[in-house]
Amino acid sequence: MSSSWVNTRAWLLMLPLLIVMVAVIGWPLIDTVRLSFTDAKLVGTSGNFVGFDNYLKMLSNSGFQRAFLTTTWFAVISVTAEMFVGVGAALLLNQQFYGRTVLRALMILPWALPTVVNATLWRLIYNPEYGALNAALTQIGLLDAYRSWLGEPGTALAALILADTWKNFPLVALIALAALQAVPRDITSAAMVDGAGAWSRFRFVILPYLAGPLMVALVLRTIEAFKVFDIIWVMTRGGPANSTRTLSILVYQEAFSFQRAGSGASLALMVTLMVTVLAAIYAAVIRKTAGAN
Amino acid sequence: MERRSLTATIFIHAFALLLAAIIVAPVVWLFVMSISSTGDLTAKPLHWWPETVDLSRYTRLLTAVANTEGAAFVAALFNSLRVAGMATIAALVVAIPSAWAVSRTPAVGWSLYAVIATYMLPPVALAVPLYMALAALGLLNTVYGLALVYLTILAPFTTWLLKSGFDSIPREIESAAMMDGARLDQILRLITLPLAAPVMATAALFAFLLAWDEFFYALLFTSDLRAKTLTVAIADLAGGRVSDYGLIATAGVLAALPPVLIGLFMQRALISGLTQGGVKG
Amino acid sequence: MSALDIIGVRKRYGTVDTLKGIDLSLESGEFLVLLGPSGCGKSTLLNIIAGLAEPTGGDVRIDGRSVVGVHPKDRDIAMVFQSYALYPNMSVARNIGFGLEMRKVPAAERAEAVKKAAKILQIENLLERRPSELSGGQRQRVAIGRALVRNPQVFLFDEPLSNLDAKLRMEMRTELKRLHQMLRTTVVYVTHDQIEAMTLATRIAVMRNGHIEQLATPAEIYERPATLYVAGFVGSPSMNMLDAHIADGVARIDGSDVVIPLPYETSAKGTPDQKLVLGIRPESLRLASDGEAPAFEANVEVVELTGPEIVISATIGHQRITASLPPKSDIQAGTRRRFALDADTLHVFDKESEKRL
Repeated sequence: MSSSWVNTRAWLLMLPLLIVMVAVIGWPLIDTVRLSFTDAKLVGTSGNFVGFDNYLKMLSNSGFQRAFLTTTWFAVISVTAEMFVGVGAALLLNQQFYGRTVLRALMILPWALPTVVNATLWRLIYNPEYGALNAALTQIGLLDAYRSWLGEPGTALAALILADTWKNFPLVALIALAALQAVPRDITSAAMVDGAGAWSRFRFVILPYLAGPLMVALVLRTIEAFKVFDIIWVMTRGGPANSTRTLSILVYQEAFSFQRAGSGASLALMVTLMVTVLAAIYAAVIRKTAGAN
Repeated sequence: MERRSLTATIFIHAFALLLAAIIVAPVVWLFVMSISSTGDLTAKPLHWWPETVDLSRYTRLLTAVANTEGAAFVAALFNSLRVAGMATIAALVVAIPSAWAVSRTPAVGWSLYAVIATYMLPPVALAVPLYMALAALGLLNTVYGLALVYLTILAPFTTWLLKSGFDSIPREIESAAMMDGARLDQILRLITLPLAAPVMATAALFAFLLAWDEFFYALLFTSDLRAKTLTVAIADLAGGRVSDYGLIATAGVLAALPPVLIGLFMQRALISGLTQGGVKG
Repeated sequence: MSALDIIGVRKRYGTVDTLKGIDLSLESGEFLVLLGPSGCGKSTLLNIIAGLAEPTGGDVRIDGRSVVGVHPKDRDIAMVFQSYALYPNMSVARNIGFGLEMRKVPAAERAEAVKKAAKILQIENLLERRPSELSGGQRQRVAIGRALVRNPQVFLFDEPLSNLDAKLRMEMRTELKRLHQMLRTTVVYVTHDQIEAMTLATRIAVMRNGHIEQLATPAEIYERPATLYVAGFVGSPSMNMLDAHIADGVARIDGSDVVIPLPYETSAKGTPDQKLVLGIRPESLRLASDGEAPAFEANVEVVELTGPEIVISATIGHQRITASLPPKSDIQAGTRRRFALDADTLHVFDKESEKRL
């Protein structure tokens, strides 16, 4: 079995996958790049070359800047919340208590809900006239009058973040739990004998084991948060007053509502670039921490 | 940790209860909404449990009678099943040889990483050209067109999972079979794939769930019931002027059933699949 | 025509020369052991013979026919892997017969051949079991059976006993020897264990860093090692290596005034002041009776009774020496004693070239 034949055969075996990906993703991506330099409309004309016009207009456009901030805010808050609540839940689930197995099994529920169903559910909960949140808060006495959570620019984004965090923290929790259970018992026992308190044990013994998987979860969740579309679309369509208009919503509006395919393409590429840069930064950090370990 | 103070135990149980409530409450509420009458749901103060349990909406949605919202729902359900099913099978067909190739010949591994990197592309980046291409090919608003696009979402992930699975099958067994005179297809069929069956099942389920959940492309590329999937149908219901909140909730419950059931029963496999990929990646 | 010829085989991975030019010939019925530490190239050579890897240069011939580039299944060889590589999802019977199945041998013939092989290996009662239900030794036999049933020109074994515990290893070693005597097959066997090599081989190729240091019968390897490396590799406890030099026609041990006369043939080859390494096997030393020669004095430091022998650790000057004495010897630590040896059990190596003088 010569190594060159083995290599050739490997490439042949990969051909179906590569052909599909190049045809359905590679080619459209190149076309998007081409479009971004034109003023094409969605239907009809293929547009004229306008150079970097789209990009320059976009960068100075306050709508774009605002969407960028909104997306960043959304990503930072929801991912941070997911991490903290997730790790907390994992620490809890790592303890012994009645019903622990049942609770662990239930953790999968929010993640298993389709994104659209989750969005719909929370939309109903946030309903300004009949929603469960309003009902609960007023019945407890924390609220005087029903509010339109999704209709007020001040609360809409927060409401979205809550819905998204609820859906995703269990995944972080389960990943963290798997990591926690891989921590060798001996080391925690040794630390206890050495006199380390709970917090010290967490910091010096447990955290190193958590760090790796958590970093991966962090990267994945951040990328997802930057790409977010589904939940925003179903719950607010980007409103009210564009207060929840993230970058993906902006691109959709530009390309499909306003039918400006060219500028939509340039926006889309900007978003792609940002996500790629983020991922590259993360990859570098992961490599560094892995090296340090 | 064996020794634990009473206060600690109380706290832990209290937090456990809190966590359980947080996780379960919204899901239970969804179900309760689906069996509550509109009167119950629009009452103030809100009825947390209906005066009479109303299961009629489930039968309403699951009918085959034409021109009802049930027919639309069922049509969307079948579309989702078809699209997810086709895309999953296609993803497996494409992923198996690729995963095997990368597992046995690391030199080609970089192309897999490149393929996986496409995950970072926001769907919006490809939406416009894809739309135009599908239109040109006459695949807009068809389950086939949508399945083709889904294939590109499912294939990288499926390949990655399968590659990890193949890695744990010792190469020597395949070398022995080769020396015994087996061709590559015989080796895969008789030895490698049977041994990888559990991983393939997990990968298939995962892929199916991903396809079931997808919304953006379905929204863009389908327009009527010939191809509209469940996710789009629900979004329609939720965003429309429908004031029967219970009906919306019912649709949600039905759409959530497959992934929830799969999730509950396949938990261990799903999590180990994710963490494996994470640790390696 | 030899059963197996390896002619100038070289293998290069990237910038590393794993095999630097291997030549050897095997006659039919021979049991060749490739002996060496990990990384010496023995497994690479075996894989090249098997066809699982291709040489960068040189030729491999089986029964006179060049097989370089020929698919493993067409080389008329069979291989037993270190991990046995049994097919977990098939019965033992199907495992053994798989090679025949792939060659489209009719079922009846196949079953017959499988039964025959199982009988030789005494595993007939296991034919319907799965590999997961078998012990390590049983799995090994199945792996051998799979090779046996193909009746190949050459059997290849890749460290087959490494995964067994010590007791089982000894049993299987004897079993392998019995099989070889009964079947007279041609075998190439890779191991790092010198005892396996000594007991099983008709010839041993001691390998190091990609070439063969010595290719000879076990007796020759033990009694006339060609290089320092071979001398130190075979024999347990390992051979003592003492730095010395030639002075006035005899060997003088560095750092002491001990002189030992050189064997006749060696003294002719040496040059004055030549730096030497003297090799003395611990078992060739004995306590000297009065007036016995050649003999020397050494400080006894540690005395260990292992059961069948007493192992002594002593010093001559600043150099250490180990001796293996009968169990009832009268010797204590902390004393200075005289040790004698037969001059013809002395191995003399040139220090520079590490070759035998």
